[in-house]
Amino acid sequence: MSEITLRNVIKRYGAVEVVHGIDLDVEEGEFVVLLGPSGCGKTTTLRMVAGLEDVSDGNLSIGETRVNEVAPKDRGVAMVFQNYALYPHMTVRQNMEFALKPLGLSAKEVARRVDEIANMLGLSELMARRPAQLSGGQRQRVAMGRAMVRTPDVFLFDEPLSNLDAKLRTQVRLEIAKLHNRLGTTVLYVTHDQVEAMTLADKIVIMRDGHIEQVGTPEQVYSQPDNMFVATFIGSPPMNMIPAQVRERELQANGLALKVPPRFEGRLAEGQSVTIGIRPNGLSLAGAEMPNAAPARVEVTEYLGNEALLDLRVGPHELIAEVPALGRPAPGTEISVQFDPDAIHLFDTETGASLSR
Amino acid sequence: MNKPSTQQAILVYTLLGIALIVFMTPIYLIASSSVKPSPIMFQKPPAMIFEPTLDHYRDLFAMRPFGKFIGNSLMVALGSTAFSVFFGSIAAYAISRIKHKRMNDVAFWILSMRMFPPIAVVVPYYIIFKTVGLLDTPIALIIVYSTANIPLTVWLMKGFFDEVPTALEEAAAVDGHGLISIFWKVTLPLAAPGLAVSAVFCFIFSWNEFLFALMLTGSNAQTAPVAVMSFWSSDAVQWGRIMAGSFVILIPGVVFVLTCQRWLVRGLTMGSVK
Repeated sequence: MSEITLRNVIKRYGAVEVVHGIDLDVEEGEFVVLLGPSGCGKTTTLRMVAGLEDVSDGNLSIGETRVNEVAPKDRGVAMVFQNYALYPHMTVRQNMEFALKPLGLSAKEVARRVDEIANMLGLSELMARRPAQLSGGQRQRVAMGRAMVRTPDVFLFDEPLSNLDAKLRTQVRLEIAKLHNRLGTTVLYVTHDQVEAMTLADKIVIMRDGHIEQVGTPEQVYSQPDNMFVATFIGSPPMNMIPAQVRERELQANGLALKVPPRFEGRLAEGQSVTIGIRPNGLSLAGAEMPNAAPARVEVTEYLGNEALLDLRVGPHELIAEVPALGRPAPGTEISVQFDPDAIHLFDTETGASLSR
Repeated sequence: MNKPSTQQAILVYTLLGIALIVFMTPIYLIASSSVKPSPIMFQKPPAMIFEPTLDHYRDLFAMRPFGKFIGNSLMVALGSTAFSVFFGSIAAYAISRIKHKRMNDVAFWILSMRMFPPIAVVVPYYIIFKTVGLLDTPIALIIVYSTANIPLTVWLMKGFFDEVPTALEEAAAVDGHGLISIFWKVTLPLAAPGLAVSAVFCFIFSWNEFLFALMLTGSNAQTAPVAVMSFWSSDAVQWGRIMAGSFVILIPGVVFVLTCQRWLVRGLTMGSVK
């Protein structure tokens, strides 16, 4: 069994606590992505699972076994490092064999396994080269191959794509997704790139400042963010945020008044401070007479091909709207922007928590 | 880099030529005197053309067991080098990797071992080795030389270990290797240039050392430099044999350094991590 369980896991460096008692379940065969800005503790968490950092407090289990005190070599994990960490004095073949040496297999079996993985990753031509003679993408594949030959219970990836150029990144991302489909191994993957997270993950864990902000499927974290941090962190361009107050069944902000969407009725107190969140694609151009519309001025338009992004000024608020590129208004135009009531999120301004549930 | 101009080239080669003359003249004198017949050895101006003779070399090995002294020297130098490089590397690795606020003090303490003037400890060493019965044995010299060589190795190797990325060791740990295997198969090979540098320094120091060898050895464990000195007696200085002995002493050092030279290449770590 190869599920990973974290219970109240804490990491301290001296007096400084960087991971504050997190709970996390990674099911067997699941692809879980730890996502967050730099310094959020995601890499530290991954390194604790790998055994490269001590767990200061709490319980960390792989399968049924508590592994807090188990050496990395005995955890049945394989890791792909951000900088690949290939052994420079060994050839590609030796790099891959090195990971098999501790298993005490026969030379024939070692060669068979290495060749099989090398074929799968298209490394067969490169086996006699040293890391210095490889391109970035090739090194990345060797690093993955070295992790794969061990047929580990758990794969750990520490920002494996961050050193690749954009095109290669897309390509390797697809490769990783295919490999996971094929091997079905449990994966814990760290990244700060939400596109990687959204495309690869079965489950995304969003972290900030050593806390888990939300755990959910890509759809869940995108469409049902638990709080303002998740709402603004996921999605590009980010969700528009407008501070408002509840008055007479309306959300009133400076220069803007929206009807409280029916699903929030009964949950809001008169006079409550809330923050309206709406994604750029929840805003559309409309006639001035339409309900939930507000006058806006187009400051800048950004043409993206199929769509265009409009930087709008609504009263004192700066909003971004995503509209069809065809027939987009010119900068400087006064328009009317409509808020889709189904796309409106509400957050408690003080705590940042979502009011949707 | 720009191609140096002719003037620069002339300057560089002139300086190199001067350096070469300064460093090679004594070696030339040793080599030529060692094959010069005794009567013309101190002719002025020096005889440039003469019939070379191997008499001095013959005397050198016939009169005294000079081969044995060379053997002693080799045993002591190689023994101390091996001992120092082995233990020095292990200590350096610990100092490089263990994060502790007093680690720098430990490193400095080790370095301070090299700061005492050798003459100050000759007598204590003599008494100690006499007491434990190691006087006039190669082991005594190996121990004494290692006390000087280990600190040097520790400091050299610490620098090299610091440059080996810890990510490589972490990768090896996750790949299923234990501490010893990681050190032996990943870290040490990447610090090989450091091993070569350390070995060269240790060997040269031990090979050339004179003071301790003179005081702590007798006829049994005498090393070659001391043996050469013994041709300088109160009634006669046998220059021919001294020169022949000196030339023989030069050879192993040169061979050892040339052997290690191919490891003195840096840049082995390139391409491992971005």
